[in-house]
Amino acid sequence: MQAVQIKNLSYSYSKKTPNEKLALDNIDLTIEEGSFVAIIGETGSGKSTLLQHLNGLIKPQDKKRSCVVINGMSATDKKSLRRLRFEVGMVFQYPEYQLFADTVEKDIAFGPKNMKLDPDEVSQRVKRAMSVVGLDYDEFAQRSPFDLSGGEKRRVAIAGVIAMQPKILVLDEPVAGLDPTGRSELLSLVKKLQKEISPTVILVSHNMDDVAALADRVIALKDGKIVADGTPKQVFSDRRLTKAIGLDVPTAARICDMLAERGVSLPRDIITMDELKSALLALLSKDAPLNADQPLPNIPIPNDGGAADV
Amino acid sequence: MFKDVTFGQYYPADSIVHKLDARVKLLLTLLYVVGIFFVKSYFGFMLTAVLLVAIVLVAKLPMASVLKSVRGILLLVLITALINLFMIKDGEVLVQWKIFVITKTGVHTTIKMVLRLVLLISGASLLALTTTPVELADGLESLMSPLALVKIPVRDIAMIMSIALRFIPTLFEETNKIVAAQKARGASFDSGSIFARVKALIPVLIPLFVNSFRRADELAFAMDARCYNATDKRTKMKKATFKFSDFVACLTVLSFFTLILLERYYFPKIGINIDYMIFGGLL
Amino acid sequence: MPFIQLKNVNYVYPVREGASLKAIKNLSLSIEAGEYVALTGMNGSGKSTLAKLLNGLFKPTSGEILMDGVSTADEDKVFDIRRRVGMVFQNPDNQTVATIIEDDVAFGPENIGLPRDEIISRVDEALAAVGMSEYRKRQASALSGGQKQRVAIAGVLAMRPDVLILDEATAMLDPEGRDEVLSVVKRQNQNGVTVINITHSMQEAAMADRIIVLRKGRLAIDGAPAQVFSSGALRSCGLTLPPAAQLAAELKAEGFDLGAVTDEASLVEGLCKLFK
Repeated sequence: MQAVQIKNLSYSYSKKTPNEKLALDNIDLTIEEGSFVAIIGETGSGKSTLLQHLNGLIKPQDKKRSCVVINGMSATDKKSLRRLRFEVGMVFQYPEYQLFADTVEKDIAFGPKNMKLDPDEVSQRVKRAMSVVGLDYDEFAQRSPFDLSGGEKRRVAIAGVIAMQPKILVLDEPVAGLDPTGRSELLSLVKKLQKEISPTVILVSHNMDDVAALADRVIALKDGKIVADGTPKQVFSDRRLTKAIGLDVPTAARICDMLAERGVSLPRDIITMDELKSALLALLSKDAPLNADQPLPNIPIPNDGGAADV
Repeated sequence: MFKDVTFGQYYPADSIVHKLDARVKLLLTLLYVVGIFFVKSYFGFMLTAVLLVAIVLVAKLPMASVLKSVRGILLLVLITALINLFMIKDGEVLVQWKIFVITKTGVHTTIKMVLRLVLLISGASLLALTTTPVELADGLESLMSPLALVKIPVRDIAMIMSIALRFIPTLFEETNKIVAAQKARGASFDSGSIFARVKALIPVLIPLFVNSFRRADELAFAMDARCYNATDKRTKMKKATFKFSDFVACLTVLSFFTLILLERYYFPKIGINIDYMIFGGLL
Repeated sequence: MPFIQLKNVNYVYPVREGASLKAIKNLSLSIEAGEYVALTGMNGSGKSTLAKLLNGLFKPTSGEILMDGVSTADEDKVFDIRRRVGMVFQNPDNQTVATIIEDDVAFGPENIGLPRDEIISRVDEALAAVGMSEYRKRQASALSGGQKQRVAIAGVLAMRPDVLILDEATAMLDPEGRDEVLSVVKRQNQNGVTVINITHSMQEAAMADRIIVLRKGRLAIDGAPAQVFSSGALRSCGLTLPPAAQLAAELKAEGFDLGAVTDEASLVEGLCKLFK
């Protein structure tokens, strides 16, 4: 099933003024349920405008031409707008700055209460959300969210979104400002959320190593257009494309390029450090010489250095 | 409703008006505002409008930027206009329906009141559009400096004002972000009773306050780190000097003010006659 | 004598009535003039507190910090120290005082009462140093994050500081903005300014000559990037190696020693040597 269906979507800010700025330019996009999509692009490329169309925070300007359908519901249809909003969980940048209630429990309950669920269901969902994000109910439920540490606040904010049990979870740079431990904890939390709560995840990130490690599809935006769309391997190994659109590549791919310049050629489709490590080991031990044409076996979820530093 | 009021929305341009001494601009704006309240005839309003348009042209501002600030108070203007229209009961009755009466005097008073408000706001917004908040704060500080003699902390007050102005766009942006985030969690701000709507604002206002305190805290550190209060002899990069153009500006606004007073108190016939020539029987 | 000297510094934070937090514990270290130091550690390790101690925003609860021989606790010298030790903070929106960029850059020089002509020439110079001269009359709110931080750096440079402290100044920026800021900082260091960059990005720390790692308010590791990365102690401080150094460590465990690896260039260098 298709979780997101977007056709001919364009959007301009300050329309019909001299400052008019085209933020989205005729976007066509479908996202399958169950996929983990990373959206990348520079600041101002249209990412956040696109995201806000997904739950009707921004409505298509040209209702006749454009269409945004989420899980079969049209974002232009007023009647389904509320339901649609609960199907798409939005975790904005620095979500801890939107906490407001005097206890963690009340803050997380805000979404479910707005859904008009009965009190038992609300409290059950709060408990479940807290346990998924790793906040102990007895310890945190009655505390003020403003007294928590930065990382804890962010987890409360995320719990507040997933307590609505959205089918689609959208995260805009969820690890911004966190320290390395916080980063790797949060990224594994996102994986867990996909497995347990929201089958479809859309992640905005500037970190190409994270994208290569987590996503099964990468969509690159530039000047409001989709300029690349495919698996991380397809997108990042197409160097002509990444150069042409000025796209950053993962560290592993960059190292491969640097090695190639020095005459050491490795397979072109290396995008994670674990893949790079196996390729290098193979080359160094010379037991099984690799050549550039031979594809690498697909290695499961690596990480960007979160493992032991020996 | 406040979204388009252009406070703190300096419009950069290279013009004589921009370069005028902020103190002069402040005092002249005050004079203009007082002047408007003496205007009584349509002729007087025309004079005011001509002055206003002339300033906008000299200041190289787009007309739209001035109109934008008027749009911000449109609702206020509308409400006051309606109250005026129905409350004034003297003069020739034009329309009567149940308890609602509209009279000729009422119509004219209302039109003049709207003109007065629009010209007032446009004039005041010219000050904000052509003067940076810092210049404004400096100008006010300089005008209020005699108060320092009676131990009023004029410099700190001026700094507070200029910082408040500087943070307006930041806070708007932040409000929009919080509103979007709470909407995404199912909050609705435009349905239900007034009580429900006010209550719906709590999830926006609390984070806004909390974040503002955090910002204030960080700003205080940043200002301290940059030696704020290091010396009583703080200097200024921008020196305010009374130039020839300031003199011309004073002369222009003073003549306008004199004209308005003359027209009202000494030659009221002129205004009435000109109004009659233009509008004839409509008066 | 070293330019910055910390002797047994302790700092206790009053959290609320009756409660306090020991943010810095018995810290002694020194930094020479002209060094480029990265100060790192996980959230809550005391690195931001240390930054505020260095320019006299906080005073040590006990112990002493000497800046070019002057104690930061000396009430008469506090503004002199703040002028000499400039600081750029994390949030670009919360450190600009003025609406117009040149006014903001002039804020520091105005505060210390410099003559008008001097202020103007310093603002010109500082904006040029960060590549923002053409924006001087613009509004700060219309800039990108990286540009805002460059303006903040200009505001510090206009005071002609000896030391530039960046307190997670790149944490909220996109990669482009981060590169802009770091290259400005690098250039200042080449001009002789001592740089202390507080960060938890290990890629950024690797650009420094020296990395100081704090753990729960104490000095945990101190050395050149290559030393720190090969010490094996980063993980216990809640930090991770940058990807290139991590790969080198893993290859070393397999028996392939690439030598000192801090970044991608040194990794490639090490690999090429092995292949030859």
